[in-house]
Amino acid sequence: MVDEKERLPREVVAMRVAKELPDGGFVNLGIGIPTLVSNFIPDGSVVFYHSESGVLNCGPLAEEDEQDIDLINAGGQFLQMVPGMAFFSTVDGFAMIRGGHVDVTVLGAHQVSATGDLANWMLPERGVGNIGGAMDLAAGAKQVIVAMEHTDRQNNAKIVQDCTYPITGKGCVSLIVTDLAVMQPTPEGLVLKEVAPGWTVEEVQELTAANLIAASDLKEYEL
Amino acid sequence: MPPRLDELTMARRAASELEPGQVVALGSGLPVSVAAVLPPDAAVQLLSDAGALGYGASSDGHSSTGPALASPDGRPVALQRGGAVVGMVDWAAMLRGGHVDVALVQPARVYASGDLLGWTTAATPGLFAPGRTVDLSAGGRKVIAMLPHTGSDGSPNIVADSSPVADGRGCVNVIITDIAVIRVESGALVLSEVAPGWSYDEVAAVTGAPLAQASNLKEIAPNLEALNAERAGKVFSDGPSAIADLHDGATVMIDGFGGPGGMAHYLLVSLRDQGTRGLTIISNTIGIARSVNFGTPPGKLAIDHSILVDNGQVAKAIATYPVSPSMSNPSSFELAYRRGDVELELVPQGTLAERLRAGGAGIYAFYTPTGAGTLIAEGKESRVIDGKEYILEQALTADFCLIRGHKADTMGNVVYKGTSRNFNAVMAPSARITIVEVDEVVEPGELDPELIVTPGMYVDRLVVRPEGFSPYE
Repeated sequence: MVDEKERLPREVVAMRVAKELPDGGFVNLGIGIPTLVSNFIPDGSVVFYHSESGVLNCGPLAEEDEQDIDLINAGGQFLQMVPGMAFFSTVDGFAMIRGGHVDVTVLGAHQVSATGDLANWMLPERGVGNIGGAMDLAAGAKQVIVAMEHTDRQNNAKIVQDCTYPITGKGCVSLIVTDLAVMQPTPEGLVLKEVAPGWTVEEVQELTAANLIAASDLKEYEL
Repeated sequence: MPPRLDELTMARRAASELEPGQVVALGSGLPVSVAAVLPPDAAVQLLSDAGALGYGASSDGHSSTGPALASPDGRPVALQRGGAVVGMVDWAAMLRGGHVDVALVQPARVYASGDLLGWTTAATPGLFAPGRTVDLSAGGRKVIAMLPHTGSDGSPNIVADSSPVADGRGCVNVIITDIAVIRVESGALVLSEVAPGWSYDEVAAVTGAPLAQASNLKEIAPNLEALNAERAGKVFSDGPSAIADLHDGATVMIDGFGGPGGMAHYLLVSLRDQGTRGLTIISNTIGIARSVNFGTPPGKLAIDHSILVDNGQVAKAIATYPVSPSMSNPSSFELAYRRGDVELELVPQGTLAERLRAGGAGIYAFYTPTGAGTLIAEGKESRVIDGKEYILEQALTADFCLIRGHKADTMGNVVYKGTSRNFNAVMAPSARITIVEVDEVVEPGELDPELIVTPGMYVDRLVVRPEGFSPYE
């Protein structure tokens, strides 16, 4: 059964995403798997983290006895003060995003469409949701990567032909990395570029509600 | 003809129009001399388009702060204690946002309608070259034009029919020349003062527009005594007195980012205790720290907007992150929303920041790509520019703003700490009354003017968070 077959751990998904971050780039990480990406930056490569809480060049999280309420990231976690950190207002923080100064954002999603529409701010059954910085990141970051589980907990497809949830941004996602595959939304449809070891194209398609177009150079998940 | 006034006497007469506590923007030319004639401790703050707020004339040609600061004509000036260094965007926002009480300009011509023609535009026929005169003319709450009454050929500089080209329309309130003070009252010129020895007829003869005579026509006699008055104090003794006039139905900005850092807890508790109702709250979250410990040290229960919601004081929120990220652990606001007790306007975070900035900077609306093609775009004008879709978002302002700073000086200049700057610094210019809760108030001059984030012109009241006050319950 495809449903019970072993998938890649979250850490491996994060590791695969980390490969996409440009050396010296400015990166904004969302909550969930995206947060883990910072643990897997290749040796010798440097990435500067931007956070909507108003800080650039975020370093590691603070130890419990060194927590400072005036030093948090956008997820509400406490940061260590590191050399080269810069603080700014929310206007500046979002000018950085909207003005195209953030190279990559990595976000989680409820749904992503074959053409790169992103839905990650509201579950329709809840009737209310949090937009936070997601719409600005979707519209403004130079590259939007979605890192998530391929399906939800009930094994419903999160990768769909068209989003049925309210969207965060239209056609904004450039790469989807899941625990089964790496896919690229294009105007022609969703291109399958890499599959997890032990998985076939057909098995991935079974858990995907959008038509997958196998890339001519389709590979096994490459770390 | 009797003698005409010299530049410094004109400057003294212009300075006599100023009132204690005002922010005064100077244009280039004659207005620059106003800095030289003000009493040393005059209770006004001068704004130079070169980036100095709160400066005086420099006797030795060097700024007191080290780096060069210039007057609008490029001469070195010294920052006064409590002054701040500002950027060009800030300068324009201060003017457009209505934060400048008086703008002094030297146009080439003034028209009976109160229109003015800048000297750069006048000097380049066929080329509209407004420089910064346009911003000064449009932005100053009161605009004073200083200019010689006639040109070098004796022709009048004050004329009846406006030019098809103008740097400002209907903006001039007072004209100060080397022979007269003329007020522009509903599109008509009224002569109120004449230079010593000059008569109404003599002034009217060299004025190119109909000139009425004030019933109490006086001789020009500069008087700067009023400017030695003490500045009104901004430091309030406690939270309740600082928010006493915050009324039912008010729109109030209160923020930080979401955690206990950066939130004006003492003012928040004061507002809860005051019981003011029907509030519209503009904020990032509308209280999630309390339900999910966002930015909260372990074992603590943070005070946040929830205390107002729980007390039935909130009618509406304009927010970006209004509900708990955990469905099983809803915030007070979400529960109130489900009960139908509160309204919600949901806004993307960067759009909220920009709407607030626009509100403080006198920008009515702006196009942003954020939210195009989403629910947020519904009911809003959208347009495609260079192949990309944008939506029109409008500025936000408020009656009151309760913000959390780290330190302030008695003039209201504020610095923040770490990630607690966030929305606080954005909101400060956008409310009618801005009240700041700080850890410490110091004397002017103790904060580095290069590092001031919120200049005192945006701050009305200061309160020190009481020693031992806890942001937790």
